[in-house]
Amino acid sequence: MAEILAGIEQLALVRALKASFVAYPIVNALHIISIGVLLTSVIFMDLRIVGAFRSVPQAPFVALLRRTALVAFAGAVITGLLLFSVRASEYAAKPVFLVKMTLIFAAGANFFAFALISRNAGDKPASTAVTVLAILSPFLWLCVLFAGRFIGFL
Amino acid sequence: MHPSFPAIRSTALATAAILAAATTAFAHHGWSWTDDGFFQLEGVIRDIYIGNPHATLEVDAEGELWRVELAPPSRTIAAGFTEDAAKIGDEVTAIGNRSRDHDEKRMKAVRIIVNGKTYDVYADRVPPA
Repeated sequence: MAEILAGIEQLALVRALKASFVAYPIVNALHIISIGVLLTSVIFMDLRIVGAFRSVPQAPFVALLRRTALVAFAGAVITGLLLFSVRASEYAAKPVFLVKMTLIFAAGANFFAFALISRNAGDKPASTAVTVLAILSPFLWLCVLFAGRFIGFL
Repeated sequence: MHPSFPAIRSTALATAAILAAATTAFAHHGWSWTDDGFFQLEGVIRDIYIGNPHATLEVDAEGELWRVELAPPSRTIAAGFTEDAAKIGDEVTAIGNRSRDHDEKRMKAVRIIVNGKTYDVYADRVPPA
């Protein structure tokens, strides 16, 4: 594991990013944009599922926001891996980083559980299980954000 | 079933509680986590990292391994402290502010002296001459 992490730090692209005055802040900014879009789409999607904005048709609204969230998550993963790579061994040893990864895993599991339960639900009112998952979702993603921010401060 | 907004409200309250708890933690960004007075560390360089997001040194001071944080790489290199300025095994004097938590062997340097050369990585914060 230690060799893999050290190997990541030695990749040509990673070494360039480590030394760059411009690319690193740009990647950092793209990570923030991805997080902003992800959190916003997740929060609006879940609010609609638990019964807010009833004037907006649920199915297309949720479908649009879910696509947006998935694209934003992909962006956050790519930019996040780049930010991680410059000091991979250092970050991998930080408890708060491992907490963040665990929270992302939990939020992902929540997403798949939701997708499974709410299949073919259409515009019907949400069941209790779906409501619980929909309330859990923005909470988990906010925890991911806070854990992520603390990586730079602990 | 019609889901309840009280549930959302309690989620929001829980999040606010986490936020409030979080603000008591100290930070390595900025200077809020450091003592006000200047601190000087002398030792031998064990590791050098000049890169994003911050340059850092690992310094062995009488058997204790210290983490010395420098500025972001642009600022550190502009101060003249490049990867060629020092090597592992060199003696270093770091002047700056140590962590408020004295159990933590960590400081943020404003000036480092290696091989007789002085590098002011935070020139606006160095002690008055």
